Amino acid sequence: MNVEVQTETVAAEQTVTVAEAEKDIRPIALQVRDLDFYYGKSHALHDISLNFPERSVTSMIGPSGCGKSTLLRVLNRMYDLYPGQKATGEVIFDGQNILASGVDLNVLRSRIGMVFQKPTPFPMSIYDNIAFGIRLHERVSRSEMDGRVEDALRRVALWSEVQDRLSSSATAMSGGQQQRLCIARTIAVRPEVILLDEPTSALDPVSTARIEELLDELKTEFTIAIVTHNMQQAARCADQVAFFYMGKLIEVDSTARMFTNPREQQTQDYITGRFG
Amino acid sequence: MSRSLLRSDRSASLLWRRKLADRMATGLSWLAMLIVVCVLGSILWTLFKNGLAGLSVNLFTHSMAAPGQNGGLANAIMGSILQTGLAILLGTPAGLLTGIYLAEYGANSVLARTVRFVSDMLLSAPSILIGLFIYMVLVAPLGHFSGYAGSLALAILAMPIVVRTTEDMLYLVPVAMREAGIALGAPKWRVILFICLRAARGGILTGVLLAVARVAGETAPLLFTSLGNSEWSVDMDRPMASLPVAIYQYAGSAYQDWMQQAWTGALLVTLGVLVVNIVVRVGTRGGRT
Repeated sequence: MNVEVQTETVAAEQTVTVAEAEKDIRPIALQVRDLDFYYGKSHALHDISLNFPERSVTSMIGPSGCGKSTLLRVLNRMYDLYPGQKATGEVIFDGQNILASGVDLNVLRSRIGMVFQKPTPFPMSIYDNIAFGIRLHERVSRSEMDGRVEDALRRVALWSEVQDRLSSSATAMSGGQQQRLCIARTIAVRPEVILLDEPTSALDPVSTARIEELLDELKTEFTIAIVTHNMQQAARCADQVAFFYMGKLIEVDSTARMFTNPREQQTQDYITGRFG
Repeated sequence: MSRSLLRSDRSASLLWRRKLADRMATGLSWLAMLIVVCVLGSILWTLFKNGLAGLSVNLFTHSMAAPGQNGGLANAIMGSILQTGLAILLGTPAGLLTGIYLAEYGANSVLARTVRFVSDMLLSAPSILIGLFIYMVLVAPLGHFSGYAGSLALAILAMPIVVRTTEDMLYLVPVAMREAGIALGAPKWRVILFICLRAARGGILTGVLLAVARVAGETAPLLFTSLGNSEWSVDMDRPMASLPVAIYQYAGSAYQDWMQQAWTGALLVTLGVLVVNIVVRVGTRGGRT
């Protein structure tokens, strides 16, 4: 870890920024190509092309209704639940276009997990909340399950808080704990990509800070795409930032570049708070 | 007069009007509540006053008998438990599955709208019609009254109650919770079975208990189906006694001891429903969220 930090510092001193250097090195986990999305007749996303580099955080920002959450819901095909919603174009994941028919959606969603804006603990025990997802995709012994549950809870720094009450109801936890439980539930399934839809907008500042810290750890293992309304959050957590406006991807760049020297005037106006 | 005083005068009259409206609405609510409680209270009071006197061990150990023969209601109690129990066992799964279909699969399709309409019709249909229906399709062809026929009639009454509450309770489960299940890669049926039904179980249970309360007191559908029986019998293929039918028979008689037993029988039905309610509530409290 230390060595990495040092090399990064060295890199920062050179003309290329860290994130840019990283962007060039990292393979692409998820590639969106010429994506258009429709809610019935309304055209919500226009010709989006965007790469999500492996094991890094891509933050999607933009004013309400700009299409950032819509894009997120395309990536695990959540929109499939609702007739009338349609996507055209390609999203390449593991060499396959996940928008194609015939993709096993349950398997896809086990590999591309999602955390929602409001914490959504299931009406069952803390233990079962985690075990539910694992049981969907694997057969594991009781002792192995115990281990997996503990591991997932430890990684979201929840274990010490709940280890004595694993069998009590998850709905009795605080909002911040519930959201960490939901993240634990998602990573317990061992996905490759995690999509987060404004995961801290319903939380207090302390819980928010804990989740942001968590993202830093999670990105060493997962590819993360996060939608946020909070510019500071994007600046703090993301390696790459994509700015959306009215269904179009205006600009995507390294976080450092995006917040210091964006190419587009609209981006500049948005991040400096002139609109949105 | 200063401007600020003028302004506070104006808001004072506004405030006064709002307070008055608030008082009036609160008062009317209280009045309505008092009327309802008085009616219910007076029913219960009459029931207890007249029913308690006849409560004895004899009532539970002896079957119905001719006036003056010191009979009890044991066979009617047993008959009610068996018929109501079987009716709930039949009606709940059917109602539950229909409710799930309506809320999760049928949505606004023609079939779902038809089923919903028919179910709501059944909910408000006169119960004697259900009794006549079972009489025509089961009792008449088989040539004899039976406890099974009674149970079936009661099950048809219980079903739409369970359908409606199941559907309504499933609608209350937040979309976000369903999506969270789907996002983990769970197929729809698992989300419904392990997440939605769990979230809705408190309300669904209330629906089942409402159904118990409703059918336990039904007389009309039993008149043409299980008929009644003055002997002790647990054979559901034969005519079977029940508390409501016994009450109906006894209350209309001219004998003092029968009339007393009718009151006590009515008290037993009420207490029975109450006990079932309490037992189920306490028994499931731990798991409810």
